[in-house]
Amino acid sequence: MESLDATIWKAITLLFSGDKELWNIIGISFQISTSAILLALLPAVLLGFVLAYAHFPGRRFLISVFNTLLAVPAVVVGLTLYILLSRQGPLGEWKLLFTQTAMILGQITLSFPILVAMSHSAFQSAEIRAWDTARTLAGSPIRSFFIIMREVRFGLLSALLAAYGRIIAEVGASMMLGGNILHYTRNIPTAIALETSKGDFAQGIALGIILVSMAFLLTITLQTIQGRGALAHE
Amino acid sequence: MNNSPISQIQFSGITKSFGKRKGKKLIINDLDITLTGGECTLLTGKNGSGKSTLLRILSGLIKPDSATINTGLQSLSWKQARKLLRKQVMYLYQEPYMFDGSVRRNLLYAVSGANAKQRINRALQWADLEHRAETEAKCLSGGEKQRVALAQAWLKQPLVLLLDEPTSNMDDYSRHITEDLLLSFKKSGTALLVASHDPNHFYRVTDNNLSLIHGELINKPIELNTDLPNNVSPFPNKLGQH
Ligand SMILES: Nc1ncnc2c1ncn2[C@@H]1O[C@H](COP(=O)(O)OP(=O)(O)OP(=O)(O)O)[C@@H](O)[C@H]1O
Ligand SMILES: [Mg+2]
Repeated sequence: MESLDATIWKAITLLFSGDKELWNIIGISFQISTSAILLALLPAVLLGFVLAYAHFPGRRFLISVFNTLLAVPAVVVGLTLYILLSRQGPLGEWKLLFTQTAMILGQITLSFPILVAMSHSAFQSAEIRAWDTARTLAGSPIRSFFIIMREVRFGLLSALLAAYGRIIAEVGASMMLGGNILHYTRNIPTAIALETSKGDFAQGIALGIILVSMAFLLTITLQTIQGRGALAHE
Repeated sequence: MNNSPISQIQFSGITKSFGKRKGKKLIINDLDITLTGGECTLLTGKNGSGKSTLLRILSGLIKPDSATINTGLQSLSWKQARKLLRKQVMYLYQEPYMFDGSVRRNLLYAVSGANAKQRINRALQWADLEHRAETEAKCLSGGEKQRVALAQAWLKQPLVLLLDEPTSNMDDYSRHITEDLLLSFKKSGTALLVASHDPNHFYRVTDNNLSLIHGELINKPIELNTDLPNNVSPFPNKLGQH
């Protein structure tokens, strides 16, 4: 094994030399996670909204379901979808296992509860008075919905960033559902796991640097947003 | 200003209770009330007598146990009338909710259709808020928030305006402006219902006085404590209470 300095140096060179394979992996990661978030966002926010303002039987139960789903480990999500999508599984005919679509499905499943739970609490942070006022002022429910969305925009953005942070760095489900196929379903976390097991640390470290920078950026943005949100509500 | 074909809304048989079974509390008991365009009714009653509850039922915000609504054109159940009430009856909170953003933005939410900008400017002028147009609405004083809400109502032009304790926490100056604005609503044909526990407020505006006692409305002649100067406590022995 090479010395640690040499490995880190190699990792940095890899990152900045525009290594094709490395950047392909990074590209796949962002492409899949961004698709998953974009697909999950609207239905999740609508559900969070309904859970916050509509009163129907089973509402409390649904809220606890989503709070429980928050804690389900990614490997379990991966396992469940794997069983569903595998050849003998009920959705086997779709032939989705080891495709990007399967990974997107996995990440949607992972991000959905976070988006629902956090947008629910964002909408709840606006008093019921806010919703009643929006309903009174704006003619249509849709316009009222957008007024309230704007009112809780910091909370919604926090939900988005937290969900993105969870799925971009997640290994278990991606590995099981995507199969870690180079140039197709190999994303940052699965590549790190593979390269490390092969003893090739440089690529792993390079990808790790990307993930950590990402996490740092998300955290800083979240903090700024939450700070702004707190100020706006003083 | 009001071009609705309706000029009066009659509510009859409003009943509302909170709680279930043993804990059930009857708040409004088979109550009738008529709101007529251009008239201002003062609704008095002790704390907890159900004034806010009644106002919120009238505006379609909460569901009564039973009620019938008659507009002169048709007779409706509360459920059928809910949409109409939401549109034609506007409820103003004691401290109106201000959305994030400027006063101007808060007014924008009440406008739809053409000439938004001019209409907002006229509303600002009407409510004496021009100097506050770009101020963060959440940072306004209670009296100014109330005026923003009145300006929103002015833009919406509802048939009925319900005000819940509009002038508590207000100084005499703000109260005076508010009364002027209410007079202007009256002139343009809006029906006003003002909930307040102080009958001395609004004597310039009020036409009749109803009192909510044990869930029922009692018609009370307006009696004013005219021999009391405005800022002197009626309880000289208990100075400093509040
Ligand atoms: N959502 C609710 N659930 C249970 N009880 C309620 C609810 N809302 C109001 N009440 C009860 O109904 C009664 C009337 O309340 P309401 O707020 O209408 O009185 P109010 O006349 O407006 O009082 P105030 O002068 O203090 O504003 C009170 O006893 C209150 O506790
Ligand atoms: Mg009240």
